[in-house]
Amino acid sequence: MKTTRKPDLAVIGAGPAGLGAALAASRAGLKDIILVDRDMELGGILQQCIHDGFGSIVFKEVLTGPQYAQRFIDDVEKANIDVLLNTMVIEMGPGRRITAVNSTDGVVEIEPRSIVLAMGCRERSRHQILIPGYRPAGVITAGAAQRDINIEGIMPGRKLVILGSGDIGLIMARRFTLEGAQVEGVYEIMDHPGGLTRNVVQCLDDFDIPLHLSHTVSFVHGRRRVEGVTVAAVDENLKAIKDSERFVPCDTLCLSVGLIPENELSKHAGVALDSVTAGPVVDERMETSVDGVFACGNVVNVFDLVDYVTKSAEAAGQGAAEYVLQGRKRENPVRVVAGKNVKYVVPQFVSDPSRDVDFYFRVEHPERSVRARVIAGESEVFHKKHKMVRPPEMLQSSAKGAELSAAGPIEEITVEVVPGDE
Amino acid sequence: MNSAPISDLPDSASVVIVGAGVSGCAIAREVVKHTPDVVIIEKESDVADGTTKANNAEVHSGIGEKIGTLKAKLNVRGNYLYDEFVEGLGVFLKRQGLMLVITPRTLPPNISGKLPQGIVNLLLTRVVPRLILRNGRKKGIPGQRILTREEVFEMEPHVTRNAVAGVFDPTYGLVSPYKLTIALAENAVQNGARVILNTKVTDVRVEGGKVAGVVTDRGEIKTPLVVNAAGLFADEVADMAGAGGFRIHPRKGASLLFDRDITSDYVHSSVAEFRMFHKALSKGGGAMPTAEGNLQLGPTAIEVDDKYDTSISAEEIEEIFDRFYYLLPEFPRSAIISAFSGIRAPTEEEDFVIGPSEGVHGFVNVAGIQSPGLAAAPAIAEMVMGILHDLGVPREHRADYDPVRKVPPKFSEMSNEQRDALIEKDPRYGRVICRCEHITEGEVVDAIHAIIPATNMDAVKRRTRVGMGRCQGGFCGFRAAQILARELGIPITEVTKDGGESWIFAGETKQFLTEKAER
Repeated sequence: MKTTRKPDLAVIGAGPAGLGAALAASRAGLKDIILVDRDMELGGILQQCIHDGFGSIVFKEVLTGPQYAQRFIDDVEKANIDVLLNTMVIEMGPGRRITAVNSTDGVVEIEPRSIVLAMGCRERSRHQILIPGYRPAGVITAGAAQRDINIEGIMPGRKLVILGSGDIGLIMARRFTLEGAQVEGVYEIMDHPGGLTRNVVQCLDDFDIPLHLSHTVSFVHGRRRVEGVTVAAVDENLKAIKDSERFVPCDTLCLSVGLIPENELSKHAGVALDSVTAGPVVDERMETSVDGVFACGNVVNVFDLVDYVTKSAEAAGQGAAEYVLQGRKRENPVRVVAGKNVKYVVPQFVSDPSRDVDFYFRVEHPERSVRARVIAGESEVFHKKHKMVRPPEMLQSSAKGAELSAAGPIEEITVEVVPGDE
Repeated sequence: MNSAPISDLPDSASVVIVGAGVSGCAIAREVVKHTPDVVIIEKESDVADGTTKANNAEVHSGIGEKIGTLKAKLNVRGNYLYDEFVEGLGVFLKRQGLMLVITPRTLPPNISGKLPQGIVNLLLTRVVPRLILRNGRKKGIPGQRILTREEVFEMEPHVTRNAVAGVFDPTYGLVSPYKLTIALAENAVQNGARVILNTKVTDVRVEGGKVAGVVTDRGEIKTPLVVNAAGLFADEVADMAGAGGFRIHPRKGASLLFDRDITSDYVHSSVAEFRMFHKALSKGGGAMPTAEGNLQLGPTAIEVDDKYDTSISAEEIEEIFDRFYYLLPEFPRSAIISAFSGIRAPTEEEDFVIGPSEGVHGFVNVAGIQSPGLAAAPAIAEMVMGILHDLGVPREHRADYDPVRKVPPKFSEMSNEQRDALIEKDPRYGRVICRCEHITEGEVVDAIHAIIPATNMDAVKRRTRVGMGRCQGGFCGFRAAQILARELGIPITEVTKDGGESWIFAGETKQFLTEKAER
């Protein structure tokens, strides 16, 4: 039997989250780090995001996905981190035991002193939204299409309808158009776009691609390959209105209908998940409910900027290093509550109120001229004005450790969005 | 691996079977016990690619069939034979049993409304269960037993509190219809049968009242014996020989499939509400576990015009939910991951039509095979074999018949030691292609070069589960297509989902721009 490896830290996933966490842990003093990824190269999904818009917070400049990833990859190579590519983690049991497999080492058993979960997310597929009709070839998700075109150099369709206006859908509407494919339109079931405003402008408006809000695809036609879709306006219950149905000929239906944190491994390891984010419940150092198991990036909740992923990764990497080097114990964590017009907040707990904490949250519904604020016990420790807040755009609040500590012994921290004059 | 017998059309055969569904393949496997000279002709790109693949996987006991029908007889016999039937095939058969739940709706309102409540209760708890048992005994179904209300909840805690009693039928089973059919076909081929895919029967040549040959779009096979197991198209094939006289009317059945993680323990046996005199074109469906652990609800029964109408409408999805709302009131609807439908192939008489043609010597119909066709398959094969013996196929058993199918390794079911050994021998078993189901490149390659080769994405999926998991192929779709293209020696743009026009990629990047510039 092969020997079990026992490093200080094992990071699962080498996208921006895993790269950032491994580096942060290395900088914080951990010597023996294993970084595992199932793909053939480092960088994760960033490698297929050849458009720009990455890095404005972390690097104060605008980079493409591969450029952003490369800065971390270069540092990982210098940092003497043990990288295992083409390696799939097939099991993570209790007691931080990881079983992975690849074609050169066979089955690899790892029992690290700490773990960072950085598996990212997956796309919601046709099945989660259940579009009636046939089940032909040509119904694809936007992220898969992005990989096909940008990495594999192959076109999954020629004439498309895009359902869902998430960021990837918007970016792919432009990408398909630039490749000479025809995008008939983008259909969004909600009355507001799912992606960032800048993407609606740069990817649809600039290319005259119509965005149909409050519309859905109500039927997929074609027995072998998609021959068209029926589109329809929806009523207030988001049900298709029969009278408004219209047939659109196309050979491909591209879906951008949301992302789901990929937490199958976490579940098996007994990590508690948040029912709203679908990711692990974490504290300010991104430590999950299982001691020594940390999580960062889109496995925790779907961030809309990679810069935020990197920040969460730094917190997780440093947290893992502290855990291994100092054997930190958690005592009486303070619960973080999603208050007025806040759908969820990450982290869900604060274990050490003497430290600075970044809170990431989304609103439940769009609202004009508001103040986002953080309340610890009785006192407001942070506030920021926003002209407009919308669910797709993640908000961030920071609380200084000094102020949190000054609030005295507290039971709850509330993050809320209130009208600007309150 | 020799895939030549798949593509070459032989000049002649002792027996030609039309249709590679579960019936055709079960018959072929029976025939090869006596003679290797049997050919199956299938118009689709894979076996089990028609009605069979959308079957709900239930090995019925016969409980729902009318006494005296061929269906009832072959169903009970088929269920009895099943363990022996799958032995050596490497196919998983589970006997999960069926619970029939008796509720106040079991009696129609025009009966229960006219009687005092006490009498109704007595009927429901005492009389109806005994009637079910007596009916089962008459058909020869073994092991049925009456359940009290408490026993119902103990066995199936999610069943409606309105339940008053139940009947448990332990012989009900589950088997993957396509895995079974693939296994039957492969074992038949191992023993000499030839499976000819992508080939459509266009005529049956009859000379002097006797079958002389089967004409296909790729040429003719001379044969004295034809078994018509063409499913939805059995009426058309029978008419080609002048041995018809029945009509297949397509009837769609839609089912919903639910997330394994959420529903794997929701029901332990198949569960159905028992309703007397209830007008339904199928047995009414039920809530069923699947061999993979997902729960299934359905199927419906809707007459359709088109033999290819496998669509499912929003209304049908709602109808299924509504139907089961009473039986399973707290069902987690949001766990739905798929809705699919298949087409049954009933005749007007609604019974199996199995027998030699009276007018055309050597032509045997195996038609009208709808539910419980999967359960009856072993008995159908047995019956048809009897007919074929009468028509001249030798009764002696071949000494060299091998009942054991060679099954390729399954990575996800192995121990780590076995995995290590396998990867050392062939590193392709260390490359996990499907992240959700942990399927390796080695297994995909095995499927592509199997005895019945998988030549498209759905065929690979049926054999390996690649793309059947949570991401539904989002991560692994391209990799699987790439392996198919490489192993089949075709450009990736020629890889299909399910044969024919089901192309997956439209071209290479920059290609559309070049085409536009040239125009």
